[in-house]
Amino acid sequence: MFEKRKSLLYKYEYALDLMEGNEDVIKLLLSKNIIIQSGTLLELDDQFLKFFEEILEVNEEINTSYINENIRQVKDEYMLYYLQAKTDSERFTYLKRIKSALRKIGRITMRNIVDLNRNIDNAFKLEPNYKIKLSKLENHKLKLEAIQLMIVQTEKLLNEDELTFFKTATDEELKYIRTELILDLTESRQNLIETRKQIIEYINQVKYQTKFIEKLRQLKYLRDQFEIKHKTNIFEVLSNSHSIAFEVKPLYSLKLSIERLQQDEVYQLIKKVSSKYKSGINPKKLVSENLSEDDMKSETEKEIHINLREVKKNFAASGKHLFEYISEYEFPREVSFAERVTIYCQMISIFEDEFEVSESFKRQDQIEYALVYPK
Amino acid sequence: MSVPRQTGEIFELLSKGQFICSNSSDSRISKLYEIIDDQENYEMLYDYFLSINFILEKGDEFYCFSRKDESKADLERKLEAACKWIDIVDFFKTFDNAFASGYSFSPSKIAVEISVQAVLKSKADGLRSILKLDEKTPYLEVVSRIIKSLCDDGYAEIENEILKSYKVLSSFKYLEELITNINIPDEVQHEIPE
Repeated sequence: MFEKRKSLLYKYEYALDLMEGNEDVIKLLLSKNIIIQSGTLLELDDQFLKFFEEILEVNEEINTSYINENIRQVKDEYMLYYLQAKTDSERFTYLKRIKSALRKIGRITMRNIVDLNRNIDNAFKLEPNYKIKLSKLENHKLKLEAIQLMIVQTEKLLNEDELTFFKTATDEELKYIRTELILDLTESRQNLIETRKQIIEYINQVKYQTKFIEKLRQLKYLRDQFEIKHKTNIFEVLSNSHSIAFEVKPLYSLKLSIERLQQDEVYQLIKKVSSKYKSGINPKKLVSENLSEDDMKSETEKEIHINLREVKKNFAASGKHLFEYISEYEFPREVSFAERVTIYCQMISIFEDEFEVSESFKRQDQIEYALVYPK
Repeated sequence: MSVPRQTGEIFELLSKGQFICSNSSDSRISKLYEIIDDQENYEMLYDYFLSINFILEKGDEFYCFSRKDESKADLERKLEAACKWIDIVDFFKTFDNAFASGYSFSPSKIAVEISVQAVLKSKADGLRSILKLDEKTPYLEVVSRIIKSLCDDGYAEIENEILKSYKVLSSFKYLEELITNINIPDEVQHEIPE
């Protein structure tokens, strides 16, 4: 039932289910005023609710007045009574109360800070409405200040105001508790600095967002009214900004490198591109006739080659001059006079070193030739 | 001293008017961000790009280029772009006040919201003409086009292909900054109804 304390509806039937149909327990609780029935709904008694929350340390509300009251009580009542008390047993009673109160202060302060942090986080992250979010955060900030004040007061109480008391009351445990409390408070104060930073950051963010949305709304209104050009400094802002983001996205078209296009690996690419590229022109391809059987037959053509070295071999032994020798030489095939003259010239030019060209000439038909002998 | 070897890649992105954001889910881009964000690299790249007339602008969690001299876009075009962005940002902020860098959203979610929010619906209708869509285009398509426009200009990116979820990048702050910088005189502010 405690778990569902936040939902406002807790039906009688649920309770019955929980007790496995044992109505007596519920009736007993009702008669002791631990739970209250209103119509078909059940409610935990407020006092018990508080009690459970305290015990389980799940209270979400941050209650600074509770500690303030504690401090006041310790300071104005117990300590005073202690100092005024006549008997030891009386003093002991008050001392005990003071100790318990001081212990409580430390614990509650720490818990308050943890709660506060959680509440701030929740408010910032979960609250959808910006206005509520902002006021929630502002309220948390006030609470934070209250806790800070409380710490200051407590420290003052421990270190300045009641020095007389702490000097008079010589109790080991009290000293221990006091030191503990001072340490706790220092830690709390340090924690609060962080929390304070956080909350200011959150508030600023929320304020920025709220302001931004308001600005956007106004600009949108002016834009819809076609007044944005004249009623704002949009022109000025825009002409001061040379950001690329406003420009049309540029296309950097580079010329192809002819050299690269001639490389083999690019050829495949060109083929691929050209297959995609349809010009509409389809050149007719002329097909030649098939080759006949005869064309496929291989034929050999004989050519008798005149080996000039062979011719030269017997020249030295012949004792004739070169022209005469060539004219009478029996070549392996029919050789005309003009050819013989060509051979004569060829031989002179090829074997120039081995022949001796004399200064005397002879004539035959239309040709005048030099007499050439072997060396 | 030589520039980082990713300089080409950085130039490629930025010179097309894109942003390099710290919260991009593309690991390649967030890597580039880390490289530019290194103080030494930043100074080097700044000088390097300055010599080819680009200023490497450092924004809040993003980088972009602006020109050293007069922008190539004329005022008319800038105004058109700015107005388009006001409309689009307004649309998304109407959809959700918390729409800002790091926000996750999906087209279908916005389309559902359009069907229940009359204001959002009228704003979506208003964007049709800017995006050159006709009256019959379904809202989901309109929303997809708005998101596409947001993604194309580098203010958001697809986060999950299967779930069709998108993420707002830190470059969105650039738009917010632009809007914040426009000043509305007090007397004009009073004319605007609440």
